[in-house]
Amino acid sequence: MTRLVVLTAGLSSPSSTRMLADRLTAAVEDQLRTRGEQPETTVLEVRELGTDVMRAMLGGGMRSPALERANAAVAEADAVIAVTPVFSASVSGLFKSFLDVLEPGVLAGTPVLPGATAGTERHSLVIDHALRPVLTHLGAMVVPTGVFAATSDFGAGGGSGLEARVRRAAEELVQLTAPATGAPGVSGTDQQQTEPQRGGGRARHADPLAEAEAAEAEGSFTPFEELLGRPT
Amino acid sequence: MQFGVFSVSDVTPDPTTGRTPTEGERVQAMVQIARKAEEVGLDVFATGEHHNPPFVASSPTTMLGYIAAQTERLTLSTSTTLITTNDPVKIAEDYSMLQHLAGGRVDLMMGRGNTGPVYPWFGQDIRNGIALAVENYHLLRRLWREDVVTWEGRFRTPLQGFTATPRPLDGVPPFVWHGSIRSPEIAEQAAYYGDGFFHNNIFWTMDHTSRMVNLYRRRFEHYGHGRADQAVVGLGGQVFMRKNSQDAVREFRPYFDVAPVYGHGPSLEEFSRDTPLTVGSPQQVIERTLTFADAVGDYQRQLFLIDHAGLPLKTVLEQMDILGEEVVPVLRTEFEARRPAHVPSDPPSHADLVAAGEDHPHARTSPRARQQAGAAPERA
Repeated sequence: MTRLVVLTAGLSSPSSTRMLADRLTAAVEDQLRTRGEQPETTVLEVRELGTDVMRAMLGGGMRSPALERANAAVAEADAVIAVTPVFSASVSGLFKSFLDVLEPGVLAGTPVLPGATAGTERHSLVIDHALRPVLTHLGAMVVPTGVFAATSDFGAGGGSGLEARVRRAAEELVQLTAPATGAPGVSGTDQQQTEPQRGGGRARHADPLAEAEAAEAEGSFTPFEELLGRPT
Repeated sequence: MQFGVFSVSDVTPDPTTGRTPTEGERVQAMVQIARKAEEVGLDVFATGEHHNPPFVASSPTTMLGYIAAQTERLTLSTSTTLITTNDPVKIAEDYSMLQHLAGGRVDLMMGRGNTGPVYPWFGQDIRNGIALAVENYHLLRRLWREDVVTWEGRFRTPLQGFTATPRPLDGVPPFVWHGSIRSPEIAEQAAYYGDGFFHNNIFWTMDHTSRMVNLYRRRFEHYGHGRADQAVVGLGGQVFMRKNSQDAVREFRPYFDVAPVYGHGPSLEEFSRDTPLTVGSPQQVIERTLTFADAVGDYQRQLFLIDHAGLPLKTVLEQMDILGEEVVPVLRTEFEARRPAHVPSDPPSHADLVAAGEDHPHARTSPRARQQAGAAPERA
């Protein structure tokens, strides 16, 4: 099983951002199945978390239960698709704020496919100028191909190249995604029976406390003498 | 079970009048609050430590020494003492001095401080926060327990044959709590030494607080200090009370809505649901506070935050009357009724630690040092 998390930050319904996110999702799922893996996809509509995001930002950092679930989903994702509308020549402020209230480190090492939508092609570099640096800062492995779709792409035929970009980006994302343990050709580990692990990689936790609890449970907790360094 | 108040010492305009107290008024207000704590039968007054406006409490032992002279029974504590940016040598001396002046009515709570720019004002770097807390506290333990210390570490100049003066009262250092909202290393540190663990319990969900406390409890047992449910736990909490709960909500809302840290964010109702904040009748505060013990187990100290966000002193003192007359007596009875006999009611006092003698882990720098010296096999 490969956990795919889709962040989509459009505001309207239906939104062109969601439409692009769905196309990217379908393409990635196809690629994963081709590789013999079963995708398990979670779509997070950032709009639905909007007031929770603001409350967390203004309320001293406390995440609501819904936001905590979103945080955990991102932390446990094997791959992420992140699509934002372009507002005022940059990513949506809500999308950025959502990333800001996640636990630091939840995206570290996670393959991410960035996408953006706008009314005009003139914003197409927003992915590389605004979105990619944020994801890079968060430690994500961002695929080389970002997928930008302007309104005109949705009206155009195959000539706009959107379908080709979607397919290429999906291939890149799946290439970066570690094969699921238990998938054909990959030797499984015992861990999978007790707790689902990200394919081949280390398990990441949504917060340091969860990490400590897990380490304690499996006996890899750092004892205090080690923190203390040497005997004094 | 002990009850008290802890102050962050903020100078905040009263949003209902626009008036901002002077620093001098705020300092005097804190002293009055501490005296009131003793008068209404509370057990503890704790002051924060901050080195930037809008806070006034930069010099805790000066304030606590003054309060010590005006009280007879109250335990004086901190919330927190910055173990990262204060020189452990100075902490050792300041709090030993305070112990002598206060006749042992002193304990203190270690904290790191989460404001990056403060660290370089004291020659430190917030990126070393945990490492500073670990090294400095271990040195502090030595300074209080060994008459002559020769030491070398990472963060301060070496010590050669140094003696911190005065020596702790009766040769017994004050009891120490470690406060942390979310750093497992600090829960581990408290457990290792057999010290107390305090969770501020104001900005986070009870579920989170419970997980932090239980991590500390399990590790306390792991290090052989007793059973997990015998670990020494303190919690914060935030309340505002009037006889009728609607009156409490109406009066507190303007302060809540613009309060530092969470103002302009979640509503009073949301924050009351998600965090331990209780705004209502004394009975509601009693019922909510009793649920804390369901979440973290029977615990030893409850501190309330009541003097922040620009609340006028008169209102704060009224709140303390309600606490002392209507809330705490009931809580004492109820908590006592549910506490199993093998769980301590209070954190150790100075007299308790004197009586415990030098075999007690508190008397040793490293709790297990003696076992190791005797080549006893380490427990798995």
